[in-house]
Amino acid sequence: MTTLTCRDGAALLMDYLEGVLPADTRTAIDAHLSICPRCVEFVRAYRATPRILRESTAFEIPAGLEESLRRFLAGRRGPRS
Amino acid sequence: MESPPLEPGDEALARRAADGDESAFEALVARFQGRVYRLACRLTGSEGEAEDVLQETFLQAYRGLPTFRSEARFATWLYRIATNAALMQNRRRDRRPTEPLEEYAPRFDADGRHALQEAELALAARADEIIDRQRLAEQARAGIERLPEIYRTAFVLRDLEEMPTAEVAAVLGIDAAAVRQRVHRARMMLRGFLSHLVGVEP
Repeated sequence: MTTLTCRDGAALLMDYLEGVLPADTRTAIDAHLSICPRCVEFVRAYRATPRILRESTAFEIPAGLEESLRRFLAGRRGPRS
Repeated sequence: MESPPLEPGDEALARRAADGDESAFEALVARFQGRVYRLACRLTGSEGEAEDVLQETFLQAYRGLPTFRSEARFATWLYRIATNAALMQNRRRDRRPTEPLEEYAPRFDADGRHALQEAELALAARADEIIDRQRLAEQARAGIERLPEIYRTAFVLRDLEEMPTAEVAAVLGIDAAAVRQRVHRARMMLRGFLSHLVGVEP
């Protein structure tokens, strides 16, 4: 297989991290990462992105939520379709 | 020592609720209301609208329970209702047009090498150390809002709610490869967005 570029590797990152790539493609990405510090940093940032966004968008559950949902449902359950 | 009583599974409760057992339905509401509310917050970006989505989800679930097939996971079935309700809510809202995030995709030179240097590429991974917590919280919401809807929905389910890819596929009714492709696009854009926030144009 021909040598992989940063662009090629970046396009396959999700499949690489989920372990669904064919073995030879995976090996080619591992080989590229072993010689490319830019891609190592890119992968680090790509992997950190979901965690950073998850932790910074935490929503509190308001105290009255359960009670207002219960009241809403009690008034509307009615007959099922 | 006595072992704690075994909690009935979601599907067993759903079958009882479908047969008219109101307490089983209430147990399902108690079990899932927090998760559905959080999902709705993330899909709509608004606590107020999330409450409407939460109510709509459990009302639809109550009415639809007789059609719930127990070979599916109850959680997957409920998340599908919640996701569709949130998307309907977003479409009803008078949304301001937003600048899409496409501009934050990574750049490469003519040889396919990353255009940025190693040290510049490293900064996005430290966005949460570099940016003030409050500002990051506001910007993160705004950034997610700017994702095109199909990418945002897949990203919220997979990466914010941390559902396995196969479950996201079942919720959205698409195959796992399509989920991976959508989540990948979202991560690429949001990585670039974080890079932009720390002062490095991706």
